[in-house]
Amino acid sequence: MLEAKNLHKSFGSHHVLKGVSLEVKPGEIQVLIGLNGSGKTTLQRILTGILEPDEGKVSIGGKDVTSSLPEDRLLGYVPQNTGLFRHLTVRDNILYSLKNGRGSEESFREAVELLDLESYLDWRPTQLSGGYKSRVALARALASSPRAMLLDEPISEVDRAKKEYVLPLFRQILLQLHIPVLYITHDPWEAGEIGTSYSIMRNGVVEGIASPEEAFSVIRQQARDSGE
Amino acid sequence: MRKVSTWEVLFVPLFFLLILYPILAILGNITLEGMVRTFNDPIFWDAVKNTLVTAFFAALLSVLMALGFAYFYIFHPGTIIYRIADFMNDLPIALPHTVAGLALLLAFGRNMFGFAGPTGLAFTLLAVVLAMFFVSYPLAARTIASSAEEIDREMISVARTLGDSPPQAYRRVVIPLLGEAIFSGFVLGFSRSISEFAAVIMFGGNVPGMTQVLASYVFTKVEEGEVSMAVTASAFCILISLLLVLFLRLEGKLHARSEKSA
Ligand SMILES: Nc1ncnc2c1ncn2[C@@H]1O[C@H](COP(=O)(O)OP(=O)(O)OP(=O)(O)O)[C@@H](O)[C@H]1O
Ligand SMILES: [Mg+2]
Repeated sequence: MLEAKNLHKSFGSHHVLKGVSLEVKPGEIQVLIGLNGSGKTTLQRILTGILEPDEGKVSIGGKDVTSSLPEDRLLGYVPQNTGLFRHLTVRDNILYSLKNGRGSEESFREAVELLDLESYLDWRPTQLSGGYKSRVALARALASSPRAMLLDEPISEVDRAKKEYVLPLFRQILLQLHIPVLYITHDPWEAGEIGTSYSIMRNGVVEGIASPEEAFSVIRQQARDSGE
Repeated sequence: MRKVSTWEVLFVPLFFLLILYPILAILGNITLEGMVRTFNDPIFWDAVKNTLVTAFFAALLSVLMALGFAYFYIFHPGTIIYRIADFMNDLPIALPHTVAGLALLLAFGRNMFGFAGPTGLAFTLLAVVLAMFFVSYPLAARTIASSAEEIDREMISVARTLGDSPPQAYRRVVIPLLGEAIFSGFVLGFSRSISEFAAVIMFGGNVPGMTQVLASYVFTKVEEGEVSMAVTASAFCILISLLLVLFLRLEGKLHARSEKSA
């Protein structure tokens, strides 16, 4: 279980998170939807431990990790731009955590196989297409055998046609892990394809919601109200 | 005919007069007699050796310290120590280097902790290195930090979630990506060190064969009225700086090409 309770975060006078709580169960892929600048990435960065909340708690598997460092949280993280290590080959990207005693040769093999990366292992990230960058970023996180997975618009750079192929693959892989997965996206269709549950971030808080359609009608309304 | 702008009319002749002409004046004054006497002067070769060796170590120390500064820049930018260090990087730009030399002399030029003589570190090769370092480090720090600024922070974040502590992420992600900047920082620091005169002479002194570097050798020869030898040594300096500039340019070109092919 990945849990956040009453998280607050401000940047200067800009109060971005105003008491965010959420709960993601093992085997759940919770899609988080929200307008640009609503604080989705900020929330994820707090969950990873890279950013400290001003207030509130984060726990993983029932253990309070609010004051743990990112390296001690055992989370998989795929950031908005994939964050691949430019200077390393695909292989060394995926193997990265093994030097820190995370994951194993076996989890590496499995991640490569699941995401069909065998023939790209010696490539550099800059040579890959958007879709394959996302695959490598996911494989790198998988290979570290994480306790929960955080993905921030992991396929935003992928063409729609390719998304249709990649999304079921990602969904299947993520479900198999049977860990909590929090998945951020802007795209209603993508949300429906990948998610098992949905939540929406607005006005600094997160609310659970029944379907991606509902989420998007709410934020569409919000966007209209704010005149964007 | 194309209309020539005032900028072109101003720039071209002034560039020739104020920048190229003085350099050519040195080259034009080279004499065979001056060359023979300079190249047969063992003190000259000592100065060359001193210059290259001290500048090398000063540049090395500058790069190491610059990497420390960049670490603070990336992982602790909000701390007081980072802010002071950042502020101090700009200080030597406006500071006369005689002042820097005097500062070093007062700080280290005395018997400290009982192990150095009455003049401390002053007037030794180590003093020359420290004087060069003092003026070169800000340059290396700026070069390396501005390159660190361009590194995608998400890479560092991901490295952390994959189990790296900040020093590990620095070693495994940041330093490899700084490769080119480290090299440029070294060459710039080396160049700046070679060109330093005031701080070196204040703290390291100008002892021929001991702490004399090329910059102070030229000064001494002019003072002694040995202009032809000063000219030869100067031409030698110009040659070294040209090589360094070419080195940096070449590195920049290679870098641009590798970026393109990547
Ligand atoms: N380090 C920071 N310093 C100052 N302000 C920040 C910082 N990080 C985020 N913000 C601000 O916090 C708000 C939320 O940003 P965040 O990146 O979390 O939004 P987001 O929901 O992920 O947006 P997007 O959909 O565009 O990715 C924005 O207004 C942003 O400008
Ligand atoms: Mg975001």
